[in-house]
Amino acid sequence: MTGPNLPAYLLIAGMLFAIGALGVLIRRSPLIILLSLEIMLNGANLALIAFSRHVGNHSGQIFALAVMAVAASEVVIGLGLIVAMARRRLVLDVDLLTTLRG
Amino acid sequence: MSAEDVLVWIVWVVAAFACLGSGIAVVSFSNPFYSALSLIGNLGSLAVLFLLLSAEFVAAAQVLIYAGSVMVMFLFVIAYLGGRVDTPWAGGPSWQAVAAVTAAAALLAEIVLAIGLKAGGRLADQAAIPDNFGSPAQIGRIFLDEHLLAFEITSVVLLVAAVGGVILGTRPEDEDVSGVQP
Amino acid sequence: MTAAAWVCLFSPLAAAALIVAGGMRIPARAAGFLATAAVGVSFAAAIVSLASMLTRSSGDRSETSTLWTWLSAGTFHVGLNVLVDPVSVFMMLVVSGVGCLIVGYSIGYVDAVAEERRYFFYISLFVFSMLLLVEAGNLLILLGGWGLVGLCSYFLIGFEHDRPAAIAAAKKAFIMNAFGDATMALGLFILVQKTNTLDWGPVFQRSQGLSQTVMVLVTLGLLGGALAKSAQLPLQTWLPDAMEGPTPVSALIHAATMVTAGVYLIVRAHPLFELAPKVQDLAAGLGAATILLAGLVALVQTDIKRVIAYSTMSQIGYMFLAAGIGAYANALFHLMTHAFFKALLFLAAGIIIHALAGEQDMRKMGGLRHLFPRTYIAFLAGGLALVAIPTFAGFFSKDSILAAALDAGWYGDILFAAGMLGAFLTGVYTFRMIFIVFEGEPSPFVREHLHQPQRDLPGVAMAIPVAVLAVLATFGGWIQFAPFWTPISDFINPVAAPLVEASNSEEAIASVVGVLLGLAGIGLAWLVYKRHTVTLPAARPWRAVLEHKFYFDELYNYVFYKPADLVARALGTYVERPLIEGSVDEVGEETADLGSRVSALQTGFLRLYVLAIAVGVSLFALLFVIVK
Repeated sequence: MTGPNLPAYLLIAGMLFAIGALGVLIRRSPLIILLSLEIMLNGANLALIAFSRHVGNHSGQIFALAVMAVAASEVVIGLGLIVAMARRRLVLDVDLLTTLRG
Repeated sequence: MSAEDVLVWIVWVVAAFACLGSGIAVVSFSNPFYSALSLIGNLGSLAVLFLLLSAEFVAAAQVLIYAGSVMVMFLFVIAYLGGRVDTPWAGGPSWQAVAAVTAAAALLAEIVLAIGLKAGGRLADQAAIPDNFGSPAQIGRIFLDEHLLAFEITSVVLLVAAVGGVILGTRPEDEDVSGVQP
Repeated sequence: MTAAAWVCLFSPLAAAALIVAGGMRIPARAAGFLATAAVGVSFAAAIVSLASMLTRSSGDRSETSTLWTWLSAGTFHVGLNVLVDPVSVFMMLVVSGVGCLIVGYSIGYVDAVAEERRYFFYISLFVFSMLLLVEAGNLLILLGGWGLVGLCSYFLIGFEHDRPAAIAAAKKAFIMNAFGDATMALGLFILVQKTNTLDWGPVFQRSQGLSQTVMVLVTLGLLGGALAKSAQLPLQTWLPDAMEGPTPVSALIHAATMVTAGVYLIVRAHPLFELAPKVQDLAAGLGAATILLAGLVALVQTDIKRVIAYSTMSQIGYMFLAAGIGAYANALFHLMTHAFFKALLFLAAGIIIHALAGEQDMRKMGGLRHLFPRTYIAFLAGGLALVAIPTFAGFFSKDSILAAALDAGWYGDILFAAGMLGAFLTGVYTFRMIFIVFEGEPSPFVREHLHQPQRDLPGVAMAIPVAVLAVLATFGGWIQFAPFWTPISDFINPVAAPLVEASNSEEAIASVVGVLLGLAGIGLAWLVYKRHTVTLPAARPWRAVLEHKFYFDELYNYVFYKPADLVARALGTYVERPLIEGSVDEVGEETADLGSRVSALQTGFLRLYVLAIAVGVSLFALLFVIVK
C-alpha cells in the first residue's frame, strides 16, 4: 500500500474518538451531543476500515457498513426524541432535564 | 519515493487535517448549524480516507447515506428548532470541564498505548490485496455469502428504527407540559 | 418386687393422664375418685413390694430394675431405673399411704371449687413425682423427681391463681427450691466427672477413693438441695408462705412428703455423707438450729396453719439431726410418725377452716370444742403425738433420736440440749394453739360464719381420713419401742447402718427428760391460755424479732433481691437499651443514611452519567493494558 500505513490511520481514528467523547461531555444541547456521537462512530468506522485493509479481509468493511446503518437508526430515534421534547416546550439543555433521578 | 506515493501522502495529510479540524469545529461552534455543516465536512474527508484504504463502496455509502441523508435530517431538525445557541464549556459543575478533558485525553492515551504496546510489531506489514478489494461486487457477494446474518439483522434494526421514528413523530393530543421550564 | 414398684410408680401418673385426657367430659368428682383410687393402687403395690421383700433374707433386699437406658455418653450411662430396698419401700408406703388418705380428703375439701379437676391432676402428678424421687435408682432420676415435686408444689400453692398472695408464695417456694436444685446439680456434675456414674451402688463404691475436698463439695451440693426442699435453715422462709395453698396440699406436700425429701436424700446418700463427716455434722447442726428457730417463731403466730407449718419445720429439724448424727432408722421412723400426726393436724384444721369459710386466723376462733367434738379429739390426739407424750406416736420416735444424740460425743450432747429445749417449745406452741382455738367461748365471728359439715359425701370424705390418721397417730408408734422391739430399725439398718447406737440408759434418760419438758410446756400453755392466770411479759423487742421470723425475709430481700433488681435495671439502662436495642436501631438508621447518600449520585445530570461511563471505560482499558 502506498501512503501511510496502519498506525497513522489508527491515530486519526483515536483522535476522532477522543474529540467526539469530549464533545459529548462538554456540550449541553442534545443536538450537538448527537453530532459528537456521530464523530465517535466515524472514528470507529475508520479504524475498522483501516484494519480491514491491513488484514486483507472484507469483514471490517461489512462491520463498518453495519455500524453506519445502526448510526442512521440511532439518529432517527434521537432526532425524534428531540423533536418530541421541543413540541412539549421543554428546554433543550441536558443539564436541566433531570427528572430521571433517585 | 515515487510521485504516486507523494501524491497519496499529500492527499492523506490534507484529508487527515480536514477530518480532525472539522471534528474540532463540530465540538466548538456555538451555532448548531455550523456544527452540522462541519460534520458534513468531516464525513467528506473521511470518505477520502476510505478511498485511500481501498474501501470504495464504503466511501460511496458514507457520502450517500451519512453525509447525504443523515446530515440532511439533522439540518432539517436544526432548522425546525431554530438553532438555539449553546456555548461549549459552559454550564454544569465547575469540575465538569476539567473532568471531561481528562477523560477524553485518557481515552486517547489508552488507545495509543494499547495499540502501540500490544500490537507494535504486527502493525507494520500489510496483506496483499486483489484489485477488486472493497468493490461493490465484492461487498455485495460477501453480504449475501459469509455475513448474511449481519445483513438481515441490520435490516431489522433499520425497520425498528423506522417504526420508532414514526411513533415518536405522532403528534400527541393535549399533552401537558412537564419537566423543567426554560 | 420391682414389678410392684413400677406399678406403684406409674399408677398416679396414669390417673393424671386420664384426668387430662378426660378434661371437662368427666365429672369433677370422678377426677377425685380416680386420683384417690390410683394412689390406693400405689399403696397396694407398695404393700406387695414389702411382702415380697420380707420373704427374702435381710441381706438380700436390694434390687434394681431398669426400663431403658435413657442417656448414653461414652462410658457414662443413665437409665430409667428404680431401686427397691428397705429404705425406698418404707418411703413408698408412707407416701402412698398418707397420700391416699389426703387425696381422698381432698374430694371433700375442694368439692365444688372452680377447676377441681386441675387440682386432682396436679396432686396425682405430685404423688407420681414423689414416688419417682424415692424410688429412683440413680441420682439423675432423683433430681428429675426432685424438680418435679418442686414444680407440682408451685402449681398447688398457687392453685387459687386469682389471689396475688398465693401466686407470690408459689413463686417464692419455687425460686428458693431452684437454688437448692442448682447446688444439687453442681454436686452431681462433680460426681459425674469423678466417678463417671450416677447409679447409687457404683457411686458409693467409686467415691471411696476421692479426696476430702471433692466429697465436701459434693455433699454440700446435696445438702443445699436438701435444705431448700425441707425448709431448714437458712432456706426456710418459703414454707410458712406456702400455707397459702389449700389445706390438703399443705398436709401432703408441706408436712408428710415433699419436705421430708431432704431427709430421705441424706439417708439414701449416707455413704457419701459419711465420707465428709464435717458436712454431716453441719446437717445435724442446722437441723438443731431450725428446731429452735421454728419453735420460737411458732409461739407468736396467729394463723393456725402457720403454727403447724413452723411445727413441721421444727420436726424436720429433728429428722435432720438424726440423719446428721447417723441414726438413719430413727430419722425414717420419725418421718413416718410425723407424717401421721402432722397430716392429722392439718386435715383436722382443714375441717375447721372449711367450716369457717376459709378463715385461718386463730384469734377469730374459740370455743370450738363443743361445736366440733370429734375434730377436737382428733386434733388433741395429733397434738399429744406431736409433743411426744407417752403412748402416742411421737413419743416413740422423737425420743429415740435424742437418745441417739447422747451417743454422739460432746457435739451430740449439744444437739441433745437443743432437742430438749425444742420439746419444751413444742409443748408450749402446740397447746397454745389448741387452747386458743378450742377452749373458751365461741367468738362472735364463729357464731356468725359457722356452718357445720354435713353428712354428705364431702363431709364423709373429710371425716374418714381424719379418723384413720387419728388412730395411726395414737397407736401407730407402737410399731417400734426401742429398746424392746425394733422392727423398723431392723428393717432399715442392713442398708443404712447407724453410726450411733443409744444404750438402754440413754433411751431412758431421753424419754424421761423429754416427757417432763413436754408436760412442762403444756402446763405453761395451760396457765397462760386456758386459765389466764399467768400473762406473758410484753417484751416488745423480743416479740418483734419473733414476729419478723428473725428477720430472714428482710435479710434475703436486701442481700439477694435488691442487688439483683439493681443489676437488672442497670443492665437494662446501660446495656440493653443503648447496645442491643440501640444497635438494631442503628443498623436501620445507618442503612437509611447510606441509602440516601448513594441516592445522591442519581442526579439526573446526563453529562455526569456520560462522564462516569467514560471514566469506567478508561479504567477498564487501563486494566486491560496492565493485565494483558
